[in-house]
Amino acid sequence: MLFIGVQFVIWSVTGAYMVFFDIDYIHGDSLIINHQTKIKPENLTYSTQTLFQQYPQAENLSVGMLINREVYRFNIDKQKFMLDATNGTLLSPINERSALTVAEHFYADDGEVINAELITENPPFELSSRHLPAWRVNFDNFGAPALYISANSGKVVTKRHEFWRLFDWMFRFHVMDYDDGENVGNWFLFIIALLAQFAVLSGLVLTYFKVIKPAFTNNKKRGNSATFNGQDKPLNNGGES
Amino acid sequence: MMFWTKKIHKWASLVIGLQLLIWVFSGLVFNVIDHKKARGNAYRQAPAASEHIVAEKDLLPIESILKAYPDTVELTQSKLLAKPYYLLTQQQGLYRHFANRYLLVNAVTGELTKVNEQLASNIAKASYSGPGEITSIALLTSNIADYPKQKNPTWRINFNDDLETSVYVEQGSGRLVGHSNSDKRFAGFFFMLHFMDYGDEGSFNNIQIMLFAFVTLWLALSGFIWTVHMLRNGRYRFKASR
Repeated sequence: MLFIGVQFVIWSVTGAYMVFFDIDYIHGDSLIINHQTKIKPENLTYSTQTLFQQYPQAENLSVGMLINREVYRFNIDKQKFMLDATNGTLLSPINERSALTVAEHFYADDGEVINAELITENPPFELSSRHLPAWRVNFDNFGAPALYISANSGKVVTKRHEFWRLFDWMFRFHVMDYDDGENVGNWFLFIIALLAQFAVLSGLVLTYFKVIKPAFTNNKKRGNSATFNGQDKPLNNGGES
Repeated sequence: MMFWTKKIHKWASLVIGLQLLIWVFSGLVFNVIDHKKARGNAYRQAPAASEHIVAEKDLLPIESILKAYPDTVELTQSKLLAKPYYLLTQQQGLYRHFANRYLLVNAVTGELTKVNEQLASNIAKASYSGPGEITSIALLTSNIADYPKQKNPTWRINFNDDLETSVYVEQGSGRLVGHSNSDKRFAGFFFMLHFMDYGDEGSFNNIQIMLFAFVTLWLALSGFIWTVHMLRNGRYRFKASR
């Protein structure tokens, strides 16, 4: 126990955190409103035919909403574009003001916007690099929530708050991943878990001999509730002085 | 203080001792299993790359599709068996596996397409590289054991290979949800044990694990205090000098 006791505490604390907080809450689902704004087909006054003339390389064309205006989104090679579907104006990449408007439109919780920053490279660990470039919009609320808005699609690509950041941290400690990636298969974990297995088994044996068996034998004798103090002695010899 | 520490430790060990054994053992299983196998993709292949049969600009104009099917939140391109489709999202969930409602429209003919048994099994076959044949097809609407988080109606296509592969195709969109097989189910069984997820909800936020986690906190902390106490009293000296 001397060697792995600390890890047992880490496992139980991190495990408890992960099971007590609802995973949807951890994911930040409650941070955003899931708008269901419908496309008004009559607003598609800039026709897709014109679009393909102007952008013959366009691929993966989609139609959706940017808050309350109809937009076309498409790729040219890996590059993403967004056009206003009423007049074909190029909207991407969106500027800071648009990013703030989008973030406020989707943000469901209390608190005002603090600031927005454009991330084009080296994303923080909570944002996948495939979403770059993206605006990070920070809100002034408990848990320091942030929404990430893709600069080229204007969509909310990621939502984070402290509870997620802590969860991620807890998970790494839980699987003893003390360097980088999400690697459950590390050697360190293997050795400690193997030792832990022996510790738990011996603990169970102790529980049987020190708790279960005495309770039964003493109950048979006279149902004495003070048994456990008496039976304590052999287990803690030298422990208490 | 030590009196209570020991009392807590003993009673907590009685309550959760066996679960602790299961936790550590299943944790050890996750550590040693072949993670590649556990993904269940042994017989999964990417659909054959297809040339554009029809250029996107020559597909049916999006404007007319949206006029025919109003109440659409988003229209995207989709490809099923190398054929172009428009996927119209009528109700959008936060994630794909949350409840969504779709319409699937053939982008060449304009025909409203239902992912029926035939289409689903063809999509499954196209994603399958194993030696098996299809033995059964079923439409599952809830409690999908292999994909407990999937909340949309999904076709399950079973193959009779050595791994008992099942392929899942979402009914609304034709999306390949994924493959599952005996290796993945083996790992899934230990996840169920580790998460105490006896209802197969695909979640570790259930009441039984919360109770056990709470007691485990007391067990671990009391054990830790006890160990430190013994250490300070020189209880470990004998061992250390050996």
